Amino acid sequence: MMVDWRLYEPLINFARKRSMWIVAFCTGCGGIEMPPLMTSRYDLERFGMMPNPAPRMADLFLITGYVTPKTLKRIIITYEMQPDPKYVLAHGSCPLNGGIYWDGYNAIKHLDKYIPVDVAIAGCMPRPEAVMDGIKKMMELIETGKADGWKRYKENYEYYKKNQDELFGEGWREKTARRWIPWLMNKKKEGDRQ
Amino acid sequence: MIETALKALLILIYATFVGFMFMGIIRIVTARIHRRVGPPIYQPILDTIKLLSKKSNITHGLIYDFGVIYALGATILALMFIPIGSIGVLRAYGDLVLITFLLEIPMLGIMFAAMSSGNPYAGIGAQRALLTMLAIQVPLGFAIVALAEFYGTFSTYEIVMAQQTMGWSIIHLPLLLAAIAYDLVLQAMFGKEPFDIMIAPGEISLGPMVEFGGKHMGILQIQHAIALFAETLFFANIFLGGAVVTAFSSPILNTIASLAILLVKQIAVLLVATFMGAIFPRFTIDQAAKFYWKWPTIIAALGAILASL
Amino acid sequence: MNELAIIVFVPLIAGALAWLIDVKGIREIIGVLGAAIPLGYTALLYQKTGEGLSFALNLGVFKLTFALNTLSWFFLGIGALVGFSAILALVSTGKDSYEWLFALMSLSGVLGVFLANDLLTFFIFWEIMTFASFMMVLHYNRAASLKYFLLSVFGAYAMLIALGMIYAKLGTFDFAQIQQAMYQDAYAAAFGADTVFSKGESALIYLLFLIAFGVKAGMFPLHVWAPDAYSETNQSYAAMFSGVLSKAGVYGFIMLYILMGTRLAIEIGGFRSTTKFGYIIAFLGGLTIIVGGLLAALQEDIRKLFAYSSISQVGYILVGIGVGTALSMQAALFHALSHALFKGLFFLIVATIVYRTGKTSFADMGGLAEKMPFTFAMAFVAILSLAGIPPLVGFASKWVLFEAVISQNLPILGGMVFFGSAIGFVYLIRFTYAVWFGQRPTDLDDTKDAPLPMAIAMAILALFNVVLGIAPGLVARELNKIFGKEVIGGNLFILDLGFGRYNALAILIYLIVGIIIAGIIYFLGAKVRKVPVTDTYQSGNPVTMEYNLTIRRNFFLPLKEALAFWLRISFDKLYRDIGAWVEDLAEVLRNFIYNGNTQSYAWYLAIVLLILALWGV
Repeated sequence: MMVDWRLYEPLINFARKRSMWIVAFCTGCGGIEMPPLMTSRYDLERFGMMPNPAPRMADLFLITGYVTPKTLKRIIITYEMQPDPKYVLAHGSCPLNGGIYWDGYNAIKHLDKYIPVDVAIAGCMPRPEAVMDGIKKMMELIETGKADGWKRYKENYEYYKKNQDELFGEGWREKTARRWIPWLMNKKKEGDRQ
Repeated sequence: MIETALKALLILIYATFVGFMFMGIIRIVTARIHRRVGPPIYQPILDTIKLLSKKSNITHGLIYDFGVIYALGATILALMFIPIGSIGVLRAYGDLVLITFLLEIPMLGIMFAAMSSGNPYAGIGAQRALLTMLAIQVPLGFAIVALAEFYGTFSTYEIVMAQQTMGWSIIHLPLLLAAIAYDLVLQAMFGKEPFDIMIAPGEISLGPMVEFGGKHMGILQIQHAIALFAETLFFANIFLGGAVVTAFSSPILNTIASLAILLVKQIAVLLVATFMGAIFPRFTIDQAAKFYWKWPTIIAALGAILASL
Repeated sequence: MNELAIIVFVPLIAGALAWLIDVKGIREIIGVLGAAIPLGYTALLYQKTGEGLSFALNLGVFKLTFALNTLSWFFLGIGALVGFSAILALVSTGKDSYEWLFALMSLSGVLGVFLANDLLTFFIFWEIMTFASFMMVLHYNRAASLKYFLLSVFGAYAMLIALGMIYAKLGTFDFAQIQQAMYQDAYAAAFGADTVFSKGESALIYLLFLIAFGVKAGMFPLHVWAPDAYSETNQSYAAMFSGVLSKAGVYGFIMLYILMGTRLAIEIGGFRSTTKFGYIIAFLGGLTIIVGGLLAALQEDIRKLFAYSSISQVGYILVGIGVGTALSMQAALFHALSHALFKGLFFLIVATIVYRTGKTSFADMGGLAEKMPFTFAMAFVAILSLAGIPPLVGFASKWVLFEAVISQNLPILGGMVFFGSAIGFVYLIRFTYAVWFGQRPTDLDDTKDAPLPMAIAMAILALFNVVLGIAPGLVARELNKIFGKEVIGGNLFILDLGFGRYNALAILIYLIVGIIIAGIIYFLGAKVRKVPVTDTYQSGNPVTMEYNLTIRRNFFLPLKEALAFWLRISFDKLYRDIGAWVEDLAEVLRNFIYNGNTQSYAWYLAIVLLILALWGV
């Protein structure tokens, strides 16, 4: 408003890098690497990172492992619910180039075409030390103001939307919503009849 | 007028800062109990700055915004009535019943804001928060009744003054029972295990907070900080004797001394709550309701009946 | 003509005229005039309450007397104000002239009850009021009206028997003479001399009056008529029904105290710091608070929820009356006023919702806050008032009541009163979530806001709610006049009870300051953009408007499970079982005695003649 917030950029970037909240959304097989990070041995909370179940208050999205189209729809919907600035950290080789599912028919090979990735950590499940290294790089990018995945998403939204629509078909949100509603409505009718 | 406004502003800034320190203390003590290192003690301030500086925010309508602002406003209002040492902006009107009601109103505002988003998780969270609040009213009511009957007055300031001569409240048996019941009620008011069913992270995605983000969540963090401070201060005042220091000759030193003593008492209350919270898992809502309507009610009712004899 | 006669009889005449002239526009105007004239005269009579106005109607054998004193002016004010708002809303929801006739007749009845100066007038107008409200319920549902009628008649017969006993012993109906005689009796009993009423008789009179007034006010075991009757009638009328007519029961209890209080206190004895007979009333009132509130949280129908809530709030008033000190009586009167205001407002809101959407069950509603913003604003004020949130009037009256009860060393009652205010939060959130927020079913997409007469009626009641909340000293001054001494001190904005103080203005100012500070922090952040209700987190699943995600049925299922044991005890079932047993008894009599067989009738005749002959007739 009346205050020039750019004067406070160093403080705000320090706050952003030292209190990243992770969306508690563990995809694929990499979800098993999360508990060792959070517990006593490689304590992640000393950097202020906390898992948070609601995307509306979280800023870091960890894609841990392979991504199928079904999961990718939910990832895109959750990613768009996060407020800016938001960062994506890709674990493992699967989001990079398909990993061990490089010839599978239903694994996404290049995640970067659908949502922007800031830092990628290679390995077929990277060990916690490797993940900490990646997080350190993420904190450096935030501090220097270069973690701009969210800006890329906003500016190149047509590119991402084109790729998403190619994969799922146009109007995929309403179609997906309606596909699981009849199942629920049938359950509801059975419940009412009883 | 200017003096009152200045006092109120100073109390507010002090309360916010110390409230954030309390939230940090909770996190670092829990981490040390888990044999981890834990975040630095000023972590909640960083969280709030991060949340308030988000570049895009969403809203679900007017009530969504207004509920959050109303919650913070009501908490600030509640803070003004509780006597801090010998200063206190509105302490002449700080009634026991009034402060208890005012400490519950922010939850109503948050629930209104959460429900207006139309999220079923928020609905379930609101239902559980309400039933928890219903469950804690019975021992809370009896504890307040015990206090009022023992001292014969409802004004918090007079209770604090009476304790300077009669000693702390908890050395009298009826009030010791009331204090135990009130301490159990404080667990639910802070939202800590075993009664954090209303927040229930991971089970219902933080319950009412699921749709709050960005600056709304920042305002709610500030509200939680001030609410922590106000609730521990209230407990310290009515059961642990408050702090009215008149040893020094200059009023500023007196104020600082009484604030320091109050801080020690408040941290004691907070640590008891944190230790209990780190050990226990979560009760389900009907277990929590049945628990509150059995033992704390019996203890508090016993205290009330003994106090009125 | 005398003003009191105008106040009492004008609504009746207007109702009869509205029924005879069955033209749609004219009967509304006549009806509203019929309700506005008493309101206007009540406002004018404020100056003259001390003058002892009275009016007597000579009907041959007996006379009906009316008189005006400060207490009856207080209740008259409540009755006229809420009655006028209800009749104004009836302009929109009234279906035919039948309803106008009986609504105005019941208004006339209740104003007569408040102004009555002897027991016979009291009873006659009580019956007129009950009859008219019974006809209003009959128009909608026969079973509910039958239950209401039976219980009311039961109470009325109890009152008639008590009246008969008093007349037989004292020979007069006049209030002042009865009060005098009862005082003398009380002092005679205190000194051990011979009394007019024996101990058993005064206890019996007390019990009969308890039943009579308890039925009307909706006290705990006798409340079963209220949920069905309040929900199965025209909802605008329900504002007057639950707001004003239940106050007639409260007025009856206060009359009981004024007439027979000293007598019963000396006769039956005391209990801790209050009288035994008062403690019974207060304890039943406390049970009413708990039972009414818990059942309200479990309802699925919006009208029934507010009916149970009505019963629960009247329980507060009974607790205040039961405790018996001057402060608690003032608290009870204060709560009577604020209950009439916010409950009248709530029933008008329910009437608007039912009128505009045609639905009464929570499962069918949702998302109405965007379509009916004015009604939602009124609902917001009413919710804050019922929940007891400062600075509205509900908090002021609950605070005075709570302090009055605690200062008399009655911890169990204090705990019950405290519990009641939390229950208020519970069912209000249920109401708000199911009706105003969430996804909207498609058939509610074109609901319009409240029609103009109802909007004006709601605005009047909401205005009084807010004004009397910020300046509770206005009400406290009137209440002090009733009792003649300064029980509640302080000035216009402050209530000072000696051991506790409440400053409404300071709360308002600091709340506004707090909201401004929060608003400043809010506006320093980034701008918001509005998202539709489908953009919400459901674990990443996409959401459409076609499927309802809000929980509208069984919202408080855990509470129902926690109370499963207590919910099996139901007084409604008890009364039904008693009714079924009486029917069985009648069947038995019909089959064995009145069996239509001429031979057995011949036997009966022979036996009776034999007995008469043996007796020597």
